Amino acid sequence: MEIAELFFYLFSAMILGLGGIVAFSKNLLHSAFALFFVLFGIAGFYVLLGGDFLAMVQIMVYAGGVCVLLIFATMLSNDISQPEKSNLSFQTVLSVIAGGGFVLLLLAAFEKTTWNVVVPGEMSATTNTIGKLLLNEYILPFEVISFLLLAAMVGAIMLVKKGENS
Amino acid sequence: MILEGYLTVSAVLFAMGLVMFISRRNSVAILMAVELIINAAAINFVAFSRFVPSAEARLDGQIFAIFIIILATAEAVVALAIVLALYKEKKHIQADQLVGLHG
Repeated sequence: MEIAELFFYLFSAMILGLGGIVAFSKNLLHSAFALFFVLFGIAGFYVLLGGDFLAMVQIMVYAGGVCVLLIFATMLSNDISQPEKSNLSFQTVLSVIAGGGFVLLLLAAFEKTTWNVVVPGEMSATTNTIGKLLLNEYILPFEVISFLLLAAMVGAIMLVKKGENS
Repeated sequence: MILEGYLTVSAVLFAMGLVMFISRRNSVAILMAVELIINAAAINFVAFSRFVPSAEARLDGQIFAIFIIILATAEAVVALAIVLALYKEKKHIQADQLVGLHG
């Protein structure tokens, strides 16, 4: 229990500290690399919450796929000679007020709400159960989302090719 | 209570994404902000499925998180394709100058 708590604070510090870099860094590449480690921290959270399969999916799809894609897009679409100017912001004060107010609202809501928390049981491997759920109860969303992925792939190719022709 | 710990981290992460989403000019940075917001939501799903599970469907939150990850990936792919096509056309991706649809 103590070790789990220690890791919870470690991953929290990782997510929030590096999330701050993502949100407020002036250099977009720094933001992209910090996002990589934020996603790793979230995978750590999933491990602490008993989602072993989910943590692996998070690392492989997010850290390995989406983040690399974001770094590629950053490098392809910005003037690399001036990285300090790649991530300018405007209305920072107003947006910080909006975000801070939102956090305070949510924290007040957490204070007032009583959750029906049960004592979590022993963690067990979830891959078997998730596989069975995906192919029985959730077969329709699974198929729909497969079609969505196909559409996204075709759409991405079409968009990039269209830009090339004109 | 440890559930509140997860909820607090995810709320702060969501707010960081919100601030970044509102204040950035670069379209890729806006996309990163969306990723932060989506991940904050996914943490909540998994935390609730561990601490407040329904009796017969203990893993529903994790299934939702998997679908969230897949949807976020598809969204990132299409959005980055749009950004690159836009960059070829306009030579910049500053969101506040892309006002061609104002009419």
